[in-house]
Amino acid sequence: MFWGGAIFSSMTCRGFAQDAATPAELTLRSDVAEVRMTFSTTDQNNRVIATLQPSDFAIVDQDLVVRAFRSFARSEYARLDVAVLLDASGSITSQFRQERSNVLQVIAQSDGVPDESFSVISFRDLRPAVVCEGNCRSLNAAAEFPAVVSGGQTPLYDSIVFGSRILARGNDLHARKILVLFSDGVDTISLKSLTDAVDSALDNDVAIYSVDISAPPHLYPGTLVLRNLAVNTGGRYFPVEVGSAKVLDAILEDFHAAYTVAYKLPSHTTGFHLVRILPTHNLGLQFHCRRGYYYPSNPEN
Amino acid sequence: MKRCLLLIVLFCALPISLAAENRSQEEGTIIRMRMTDCVSPHHAFMNAMSGVGQVATGELCPEYVLVTDKVVYVIIGKGSDHLVPLAETTRFHFQNNEVLIRVDDARRESRFHVKEMALRLEWDRNQKLVDAEATAIMHRHLEGAVMVEARQ
Repeated sequence: MFWGGAIFSSMTCRGFAQDAATPAELTLRSDVAEVRMTFSTTDQNNRVIATLQPSDFAIVDQDLVVRAFRSFARSEYARLDVAVLLDASGSITSQFRQERSNVLQVIAQSDGVPDESFSVISFRDLRPAVVCEGNCRSLNAAAEFPAVVSGGQTPLYDSIVFGSRILARGNDLHARKILVLFSDGVDTISLKSLTDAVDSALDNDVAIYSVDISAPPHLYPGTLVLRNLAVNTGGRYFPVEVGSAKVLDAILEDFHAAYTVAYKLPSHTTGFHLVRILPTHNLGLQFHCRRGYYYPSNPEN
Repeated sequence: MKRCLLLIVLFCALPISLAAENRSQEEGTIIRMRMTDCVSPHHAFMNAMSGVGQVATGELCPEYVLVTDKVVYVIIGKGSDHLVPLAETTRFHFQNNEVLIRVDDARRESRFHVKEMALRLEWDRNQKLVDAEATAIMHRHLEGAVMVEARQ
């Protein structure tokens, strides 16, 4: 059973009881609730740590500190599913050409990611639109990217929900689902809220890597939105000037150096469990993981 | 001769001073952590002890439950960056009603306000009651779900 990144497994132990008259097989059933979190780690210089030990970190689930893990191993993800979400609204008209070029660079440079794993979605006015799905390397930028209309609206949050659902459609538990968001973080018309957008990404196990295309020094409220989206979903935030190659490198590094840790559910409190991964020794380590998971009122459903 | 005597005295005094330092160090384990409103730096301990509410500053600070053999402390950092590594064992000592924790190689110790204190026995007893209540709630949920399934 899978629920928002947490797996609650039911383990059946079989034993045998001998009866004088009728030998019977006795089945002992025990519910063991287990949480699984996938994360990556960087040091103070933002370099990915590939040699992490279970003693290097502790998990804070709700308020409870967990140091005893049931398992800790390299992530079982076998492939990447990447959707690039491109802000084509009026608020970024002047940067659109550069933004489009960044997206094409990301796709072109992604030798380690198969073509069928890429989708590009653009958004403006009332709804997002799929530009390409699975054949994005052959994209004719000039012809297939929508033209920008000055003054158009920005349905950012709706588009994140849309992109998360597109990624979840594959329903492949072994695929790491990544949403690369090129935006200035401004939303003007969405029906959904920022919370809905984060929840949708969490529900569908999607990590958001946000690229801030607002003008430096990135002090706009939209920057906070982009940081929030990245931090809460286990992705990362980048200002646009770092370059698209750096963004793709980070995605690939996180993918190759991702760990999965499993631990016993520390509290059966229903609702959202806030999760933090914190260092046990080196305070310079930063752990990138989703913000938490939902524990349902009836875990059997 | 005087130098020899001085060296002998120093040599003898060293273990005593080290032992004194060790005695003042306590050990505990952090079992809970959350971000909460920071408290006003003035008289936090006295406010806590006298039952006067803490004055929130609008910033979020880390709060830890630190369990030792005999006492359980709820301590709160003075700033949002006052983080403590969550190692199995945390060494600390008291100074002016504050808990001081040295973080690995840091030059200075981090100071924490003491928000609450309880005897370990009393705290364990309360914890058992809380756990029992949580288990009862969970069982009620599960029983409810089984009843619904049975009706269907």
